[in-house]
Amino acid sequence: MCALPKHLRPRWRYLAVGIERPPDSSLDRRTFQRALWAAARELLGDPGSADCDPTVMRFRFDEEGRTGEAIVRVRRNERERGRAALACVSDIGDEPVGLHVRGTSGTIRSCEERHLRGRSDSGSEMTVIFGGVDRPARKRGGERVDVHTEEGWVGATALDIETETSDREQRE
Amino acid sequence: MTEADRDVFYEAVSAYPNGRSTAARLALTAREQGYGGVVLRTDPDRETAVGPANPTEIADADGIDAVDGVEIRTDSPGSASGALGEHRAEHTLVILAGGTGEMNRFAAEEPRIDVLARPMAGRGDVDHVVARAAARNGVRIEFDFSSVLRTSGGRRVRAVSDLRKLRELVGKYDVPYVVSAGAGSHLELRAPRELAAVGEVIGFPREAVLEGLSEWGRLAARNRDLQGGSFIEPGVRVESYDEES
Repeated sequence: MCALPKHLRPRWRYLAVGIERPPDSSLDRRTFQRALWAAARELLGDPGSADCDPTVMRFRFDEEGRTGEAIVRVRRNERERGRAALACVSDIGDEPVGLHVRGTSGTIRSCEERHLRGRSDSGSEMTVIFGGVDRPARKRGGERVDVHTEEGWVGATALDIETETSDREQRE
Repeated sequence: MTEADRDVFYEAVSAYPNGRSTAARLALTAREQGYGGVVLRTDPDRETAVGPANPTEIADADGIDAVDGVEIRTDSPGSASGALGEHRAEHTLVILAGGTGEMNRFAAEEPRIDVLARPMAGRGDVDHVVARAAARNGVRIEFDFSSVLRTSGGRRVRAVSDLRKLRELVGKYDVPYVVSAGAGSHLELRAPRELAAVGEVIGFPREAVLEGLSEWGRLAARNRDLQGGSFIEPGVRVESYDEES
């Protein structure tokens, strides 16, 4: 079939999405796409979902840092409904997922240039003092630290914890 | 929505040990998503939160307003009344978790309560009596989006229809309201524009959702002013004397 003339082709809009997951969980492109389709269908119904047509165009997930980025294509006048479908993706494979639309662009290229950041800082393992108890933790980019407790992973920042070394320095 | 509006949106969150992220982590993520502040729904029974930083430290480190709030969760008006007397003066915002007809009615008729949270949760229901009382006493009713965002199937259908009923009552009696995603971890936070988009799909005008998010901030500012010491009574306040004027 020959390509449609340019003025008849659908107009798209590209959403740059930041992805964050708890430690010990992974994510690949197909799983993410399936979760997004499922969320769109549940929220918008079959006709709404077909209109919106959210499709993952670029996907990158950093296994070390448990963060990722994606570019999701939606029909241009369905941008807000695409955003709503994305907001309703709360769990993938029984583990929570945090999604945030960083911005939208008219082309994939400008979306990549303006909103994607490339590789994030990889997580490093450490032991921290959280609530007066030594606990295993993973450091993420910036101030973020995930601490492992009896109830699972707890998201924290440098404000909430004392690292082993800084604690020893204080004692000395 | 313009960039200048960004700081007016607030979100009310449950932090560790009730939630799965500390207040500081929630605040950091909220700032990235475009919020100007977070309201911490502290549980009075678990207030001895381990480790986590206090609201002032968070505000200094993360550059986001952190409002010291308390969420009273009891199932009898008597104990709620006791808790209210204890916490009203200590915290900027006092939230009461609804969810039964009795508690919703109690909250709506108590002007010392700022927000009635999750009135439709469980077997809770709101009728015209509660709506009218809430409007009269200035008690904000919360539209809780958590079930829309994080459940599916029949539970979600019920949540959406409850929100619709509540929206119609709130509109009819002009009840003040707030909107929240009810996040208990930084992964459950959703940006203001995302919440507005979800709201639009389930029948809320876009502006109403954004208005509900900024109402948290207005409430916090009002209460801080009232508790600030310069306020004596309506129309009377202590101000520093300026000789030149």
